[in-house]
Amino acid sequence: MRRDIFQAIADPNRRAIIGLLASQKLTVNGVAEHFPISRPAVSRHIKILKECGLVVVRKQGRERYCELRLDRLNEVAEWVEQSRKEWNQRLDRLDEYLNELQKKEKKHGEK
Amino acid sequence: MAKSNMAGEQGKQEVLITRLFDAPRALVWQAWTDPKHFMLWWGPKEYTCPFCEMDLRVGGKYLNCMRSPEGKEYWGTGVFREIIPMERLVFTDSFADEQGNVVAATYYGMGPDFPLEMLVTITFEDQEGRTKMTLRHIGLPAGPDTEGTHQGWSESFDKLAESLK
Repeated sequence: MRRDIFQAIADPNRRAIIGLLASQKLTVNGVAEHFPISRPAVSRHIKILKECGLVVVRKQGRERYCELRLDRLNEVAEWVEQSRKEWNQRLDRLDEYLNELQKKEKKHGEK
Repeated sequence: MAKSNMAGEQGKQEVLITRLFDAPRALVWQAWTDPKHFMLWWGPKEYTCPFCEMDLRVGGKYLNCMRSPEGKEYWGTGVFREIIPMERLVFTDSFADEQGNVVAATYYGMGPDFPLEMLVTITFEDQEGRTKMTLRHIGLPAGPDTEGTHQGWSESFDKLAESLK
């Protein structure tokens, strides 16, 4: 199944996990302690966050710590800028087209 | 955590454009919903639109193509979600191949962070003989758990930013 960053943040539990990891790195158990949901459920959410590239798990001694990659969230803003530019270019053309169309209609009317 | 570290400043999480067109509302509506008209303006400057089909009803699909001056084609498809003639048009928006199958933005060499499905909402209003058009473009999270919702990820971002405070 395809994962994207938008899916990562669509779930309230995952948003809460991101919020938690924003200030500290934690083990899966450490994350689970903060939530009323079961540890396997927390594991599943962390797996999804990993697949979306938002969380990396690093081994430190005998523990495995979850770390947040906030830079990935910032990347999302990039498509917004690109889309905005494209829409403005299209709408410039729509504007020109509407003007041309009305000029033609006027000419026809005068004949 | 400041919002600016999350997804840019407020309002940057979606595309919101308002334009005033010097044309009656009926004509602007027609330019959007009649393929004959649509093909004459769709795409950035210097691009052409060699193909456009629309099944203009709620649940109906569209497929169109933009061709760059170099001849590269970009196909787009989606489903109409809301149609209120001359007032409101809502449709999903995805990249496609020329058969109309949805493809990821990476198919066209764009970043992997483009959402697979986007939602475009356009409203049309009279303003002293001219037409005020507002276009809102948001990304929709992938996956069946969010299907059927009209909620975009921008709202999720707000909630997330809130939780990071």
